[in-house]
Amino acid sequence: MTLAARSEPVAADVRPRAARDWTALVVDRAPFLVACAMLLILLGIYSTLQRDVFTLEELNLDTTASLTLLLAATGQTIVLVRGGIDLSIGGMISLGTVIAGTQFGEDPANAALWAVIILAIGVGAGVANGLLISVLRLQPFLVTLATWSILGGTALVILPSDGGSIPSGWTWFGNTGFGGLSTSVWILAALVLFWLWFRATRLGIAIRATGSNERSAYLSGVSLTAVNCATYGLSGLFSALAALYLVTQTGTGSPTVGNGYILNTVAAAVIGGVSLFGGRGGLASTIVGAFILTIIGNLVFVLSISSYWQPIASGVILLAAVLASSLAEKSARRGGM
Amino acid sequence: MAFLEATSVAKRYGGIVALGGVDFAAERGEVHALLGENGAGKSTFIQVLAGSVRPDAGSIRLGGAEYRPADPRAARAAGVAAVFQELSLVPDLTVAQNVWFRREPLSRLATARRSALIERTEALFARYRFPDIAPDREVRRLSLADRQVVEIAKALAGDPSVLILDEATSALAPRETEWLLDLARSFARSGRLVVFISHRLGEVRALVDRVTVFRNGETVGAYPIGAVSDETMIADMLGRRLDRLYPERHATATARLALKVRGLSAGAALKNVDLDLREGEVLGVAGLQGHGQQALFQALFGALRATGEVEVWGKPVSIRNPRRALSPALGLALVPEDRRGQGLLLSKSVRENLTLSVIPRFSRFGLLSARREKALVDEMIAFLQIKAKTPEQPAGTLSGGNQQKVIFGKMLLTEAKILLLFDPTRGVDVGTKGEIFRLMRDLAAKGYAILFYSSDLSEPVHVADRVAVMRNGAVAAVLAGEAVTEEGILRAAMVERAAA
Amino acid sequence: MAPLSRHRAILLAYGAMIALLLVTSIFSPGFLSPGHLRSIVVLAAFIGIVALGQTFVIIGGGIDLSVPWVLNSAAVLMTLFAAGQDAPLLWIVPLLLAAGALVGAVNGIGIAVFGVPPIIMTLAVNVILQGGILVYTGGSPAAAAPPLIQYLAVGRIGVVPVIGVVWLVLALLASLVLSRTAFGRQLYAVGTSATVATFSGLPTLRTAIAGYTLSGFTAALAGMLLTGYSGQAYLGMGDPYLFTSIAAVAIGGASILGGSGHYIGTIAGAFVLTILTGLLPALNLSNGALLIVYGAVILVTVSVSSDAFADLFAFVRRRRAAG
Repeated sequence: MTLAARSEPVAADVRPRAARDWTALVVDRAPFLVACAMLLILLGIYSTLQRDVFTLEELNLDTTASLTLLLAATGQTIVLVRGGIDLSIGGMISLGTVIAGTQFGEDPANAALWAVIILAIGVGAGVANGLLISVLRLQPFLVTLATWSILGGTALVILPSDGGSIPSGWTWFGNTGFGGLSTSVWILAALVLFWLWFRATRLGIAIRATGSNERSAYLSGVSLTAVNCATYGLSGLFSALAALYLVTQTGTGSPTVGNGYILNTVAAAVIGGVSLFGGRGGLASTIVGAFILTIIGNLVFVLSISSYWQPIASGVILLAAVLASSLAEKSARRGGM
Repeated sequence: MAFLEATSVAKRYGGIVALGGVDFAAERGEVHALLGENGAGKSTFIQVLAGSVRPDAGSIRLGGAEYRPADPRAARAAGVAAVFQELSLVPDLTVAQNVWFRREPLSRLATARRSALIERTEALFARYRFPDIAPDREVRRLSLADRQVVEIAKALAGDPSVLILDEATSALAPRETEWLLDLARSFARSGRLVVFISHRLGEVRALVDRVTVFRNGETVGAYPIGAVSDETMIADMLGRRLDRLYPERHATATARLALKVRGLSAGAALKNVDLDLREGEVLGVAGLQGHGQQALFQALFGALRATGEVEVWGKPVSIRNPRRALSPALGLALVPEDRRGQGLLLSKSVRENLTLSVIPRFSRFGLLSARREKALVDEMIAFLQIKAKTPEQPAGTLSGGNQQKVIFGKMLLTEAKILLLFDPTRGVDVGTKGEIFRLMRDLAAKGYAILFYSSDLSEPVHVADRVAVMRNGAVAAVLAGEAVTEEGILRAAMVERAAA
Repeated sequence: MAPLSRHRAILLAYGAMIALLLVTSIFSPGFLSPGHLRSIVVLAAFIGIVALGQTFVIIGGGIDLSVPWVLNSAAVLMTLFAAGQDAPLLWIVPLLLAAGALVGAVNGIGIAVFGVPPIIMTLAVNVILQGGILVYTGGSPAAAAPPLIQYLAVGRIGVVPVIGVVWLVLALLASLVLSRTAFGRQLYAVGTSATVATFSGLPTLRTAIAGYTLSGFTAALAGMLLTGYSGQAYLGMGDPYLFTSIAAVAIGGASILGGSGHYIGTIAGAFVLTILTGLLPALNLSNGALLIVYGAVILVTVSVSSDAFADLFAFVRRRRAAG
């Protein structure tokens, strides 16, 4: 017996259905919209300095330049949405390139085997992060700071300086294309599809919920240990993927190359509007953020300014984005509730 | 045997008895009210039912079988759903995602598709004739009332056989309240059980079939609603208390105003509050929980931004932050609501806690004088009879009463003359309670001015000179002299809102 | 509450230091020779000076990841400005110390006033400084350290290294500030609970900012002194100090959550790390192995002082009492 058995018309006191609240939607997505506008402006400036910016070829080039960052930043985005941070990305990328550089050899089957091993190490290190964070109840930054050091140190032990070699088949795969689009664009498309799927899975929802309000999520039956292991495990997996793609571009193993990605992954996500406090943002934000960083790099190159300006620019933009969002958060809190 | 039957359920927290062995019985098809003052044990009992608290003793049977949920998930699986005042919603998920959280319907790709969630939510809303809330909207953009409604939807999503509503109407507007009462009624008529907790007697009388009254962690009465008067219910809730706890009260107030508040407002929490607090006076602040008392105290202490005019000892002031409030120029000190989160550094010593607000009193050019600090600490420990092995004992290891004494000592050392005491006796043993009341009256006699909130209605009645009763963020009435009775306070606090 | 009281944690750190010294002297005879002990003091001093500021920041409930490039920037700029001469140090050293403090203050303001998470704020400042120095020097800063700096870093007064004396003075000052001043008392309170500190009327923001300011100051000081040890400034010289400064504080018994610990413990932490560092090359291990050890040391020390461990201890004790 249920109440649905009633046959009278539903809801006697229906209020007029609230019109979709456009202002709120815009305010909510303000950081993302600002980032989009910024990307367009940068592209505009870039197109005045360089002919033929809005072409497939340029898309291929920029995606190839962004993809390592994008892959790693996808993992960082998941962690940020969970309300954590992963510094071990730096160590994992370095370790991945070093293992690839020293173990791949020329045999494709061997390279494939080691690629799988690298991915497994990524997942394993990430799950270890998640376990340490939940079981010992430690802060994410501290655990991942330590694992960053351990993974990065391992990379240095394996290969004290840049070296090793990547089989030509592997680099070919990273630099070829299908149907006019480079491999990187296809990978990006796959990444977008993954995200559209992932965010609607139970795990995806649980991760966002836990980042939004840990206690509510727990009261609703979420296991925090499982969520943490999955979150950091995915982050490790994406770092390993980033390393596997990176070696197609550099053709070598490098034991310190990953350190530059730590802040940049956070920057790409946060510039695009992912909240540092958990719960908000997604891959669209991170893609826009990563392309902003790449176009800035292009501009630095075209204007033949010292390339050392690039980290300064991304650091400053990151701080500006974080400041803006934390001020917005403050004023929103003051506004009531 | 009743459908839901609890026998001698008991729960202690350290030395504090929350439930001393309550009995409760309710049948299918009824709406059953659970009444009691704040602290009577209602919320502990429903937390036991909802699986978030495990009882120390006693047994519960549901539908004839033993019922012992290990956690909220187990309780939900057994068909018991509770809507608490503390919401369990996730702000960044949509209404539909929240309603079906952890029971999402999955597509073949293992995803909870937006359209499927919305469809299900709309069906649920239609089935229970919910007020219109867009299922696709993120919960953080909803009003408090709408969030309460979504919380109810989340409870109903699991199709429970027992629905517990804890003060679920307190955040709702009259129309939604009526809807919820209807829902509760028809839910019960369909052969299930609603346990309803409310402070609004009118609501209770209009809705429920039977009532059970708790007092001090015991069951004191159970009646069919038709066979019991409001007076009996109120008498059961209040009971007769030992009055020896309270010191004799002599009027010590002078004509001099210590604190004059006009039009103090802060968002929805505080609306246009006027107050006068005199030298030598203990002014009680009362009302049901969550009607702006906390905001009032925080605003006066500079911990909450508010608008309005405040005069301290005749001078207009702006209280920007607690540092300013505590400064000798103003001399306002607070015993905060959250002893462990706002009042004490639990891992630090009694000494460091006592002198935390008065570091300049024992330092010169930034250098501390251990000797002078010790003098202050020893004096205060002796004065308040704080029971600590040594002043170096971590404050977190003291009993609740002694922790509260440390906070009092810290406040008194600041030499502030206006004291804001927010629920200073909560979780404090009876002996210390008596000491605190005596101290309050002694301080008043010395010319201190004291603003005093207690979640226990009987306390302001016996300790305060006048009582300001708050309702919905405003002062509903100021009672003085003979008018200061528990019944008077309850009436002023509980008068139903006029129909909108 | 941490499972170990403050004094016990510090004693434990010194115990570890002595045990490590003894073990090491067995492995490599000559380890306890005066010359070798002196070099341990010198190397520990650099860690100890950087970790001084880090100790204050961590006690105040924060973390400073900008240490590497504050240190490196000061080192590079000092050698460039001084160009091997002692005389200009008169204005260079105060200027760069002030600049380091200013960078720290910017960190503190971003964190305390604007609510930027400490990791993001200090990591971003670190990267910006790194870029700035690379731009300024074009990537190849090569200038020798002035003689006076070299004397401070590697010189001796009798058998005592000069930098040991400098460190001792700083250590005494830091301990005095933590134990005996109003500022120290406030710092512990803010680190234990910023809310309680605010409700107690303490100047919470100012206190937190002061901690970061000090960290910028000590990182800049260590950077300049370090050029004297290596003879010149080079890029990346600050990188190891990110992990060592945090590890030294953690080994020294401070809770990484803030509110506890003492510089006296950090000193032992600096020695433990230095002895480990000295031990590893003796065992033919590399920089990479060092990083692994730093990471493991951080993990182990913070795990042992975590709440979960405290619960575990309590549980085991109860079991034993019951059984």
